[in-house]
Amino acid sequence: MAIDVDQVAREQPPAPGEFPVTVGWTQAAMAARSVLALNTPLNLRMIIESHEPLLIDFRHHAFSWSTPLEDFPVDAVHTHLETVPTSPDAPPFFELPGQDLDGLLWEMGINAFGGEPAFWLSPGERYRLTRWPNLTQHSHNLRQVQMIAVLGNAYASTAELAAYAGVEVSEAQRLINALSLMRILTRSAEAPAATMAPQTAAAKRGSLFARLRKRLGR
Amino acid sequence: MSTGLHMKPVVVEAATTLLTEMNAATGSLTYAALLTDDGFDVARFPAKTDGARFAGMASSMQALGDAVTHELSIGDSEYIIIASGKGHVVQLRVPGQELVLSALFDNDATVGHALAVTRSFAQKMADLLA
Amino acid sequence: MAEHVILFTGPMGAGKTTAIQSLSEIEVVRTEANNSERHVVDKATTTVALDYGEILVGAQEKVRLYGIPGQKRFNFMWTILKKRAKGMVLLVNSDAPDPLGEMTFFLNEFRELYDRGGVVIGITRSDVVDGPGVADFAEALERTNPGLVIPVFTVDPRLRHQMQNLLLTLVVNIEMRAAFGLAAARPA
Repeated sequence: MAIDVDQVAREQPPAPGEFPVTVGWTQAAMAARSVLALNTPLNLRMIIESHEPLLIDFRHHAFSWSTPLEDFPVDAVHTHLETVPTSPDAPPFFELPGQDLDGLLWEMGINAFGGEPAFWLSPGERYRLTRWPNLTQHSHNLRQVQMIAVLGNAYASTAELAAYAGVEVSEAQRLINALSLMRILTRSAEAPAATMAPQTAAAKRGSLFARLRKRLGR
Repeated sequence: MSTGLHMKPVVVEAATTLLTEMNAATGSLTYAALLTDDGFDVARFPAKTDGARFAGMASSMQALGDAVTHELSIGDSEYIIIASGKGHVVQLRVPGQELVLSALFDNDATVGHALAVTRSFAQKMADLLA
Repeated sequence: MAEHVILFTGPMGAGKTTAIQSLSEIEVVRTEANNSERHVVDKATTTVALDYGEILVGAQEKVRLYGIPGQKRFNFMWTILKKRAKGMVLLVNSDAPDPLGEMTFFLNEFRELYDRGGVVIGITRSDVVDGPGVADFAEALERTNPGLVIPVFTVDPRLRHQMQNLLLTLVVNIEMRAAFGLAAARPA
């Protein structure tokens, strides 16, 4: 089974006041993942040093934070993280619309786990995209676009993805973590490796993507 | 600016009459249409044909003709001729209006005659609307 | 000269002409006429044949950008332009009367471009109006065309950077689909 409920339950954030200060987003990503995966009626409040509180309202798929995502603090010092119970008829956690939660999940997923697999993923899996993220909203680079395009068209493990796209495994892993946290990735232990068509003469000349990037200065 | 000429009954009626006169003026007219710049059929001869598709195509052709003359820096397109074994299409703008007159003549008519007739009736349409 | 033809499709008012202008390195060839149906779509002009722009990739390589006229009465132009293209940018404006319907319509109309190349979808004017969001478009896509994993981005067609992102995403998708044997190659 993809989700180990016991493990996730053990990973529940500690009660308010007992929170160990952590640097980085791993704990936050785990908390968000728990709420999303279990579909529990909870909101999240995170206190981060030198920033206003970060509030997440999962029911409305939104977050509220005064720090813009362009200035996302990769080494944020989390001093507090609490779950706030809610219910279907409770008012929103903050004034809507807030910001699209996907943007935050992307940043959290890219930056949590230090390039290692997210704790909810299993070894030996292959991944495939179910839906493209709206990249206009997320800071991204063209290597990530390439990797997402692979996943949109084939099942790939992290290592295979890194090989197809010509990037470090850790960079591919960060993307897998983000897409998985955003719940737009299918995971399969059974899917076989995809086969790329034999290298055509055109492919050997290099891709239009590479040449167009260069031309556009990207 | 003339907008929605195809929706003004007075214009449609005048245009329909004009095309009937055009047919009477020459023995070689097979089909004629007045259409807006953006491809709406205002009137056609014979009146009972469905001119919608042709109107769209003629407007595309007019716009492409202008694009070609501007690309080649030779001014505005004055007329367009499409010649085929069974007839030729002559097409030009109604002066001062966002209207195009497009007419199909059989090959009994010379191109010169077809052009003269089309020009003449385009001007008559312009005079009617002025 | 290697040429790659990309077609810009979508309803009138979606921003196809604007998008090509943002991308083109040459002055865009336009075929605009005054719109005589302002009550239907409130735009001063409308494309009646095509838009044409270019990006020169190298001395012997070019990307040609063609825009269709969005109104259905010009669908004979769609037939002509479809044949030349290897991929499609489908733009839909959020403030269209039926944006989700327009997306589905144009996707079906130009399905062969997906089959032999690739498609990306750009939602325009989503900041201007409280219309369907990206999630709604993605959900409609999944419902009407299950299994099609197509990039759907919000874009402002006036912004070169965003249009370049959309175009690059299309190109990489076309190449990946070909690399994994998913696109039915057109005979040379």
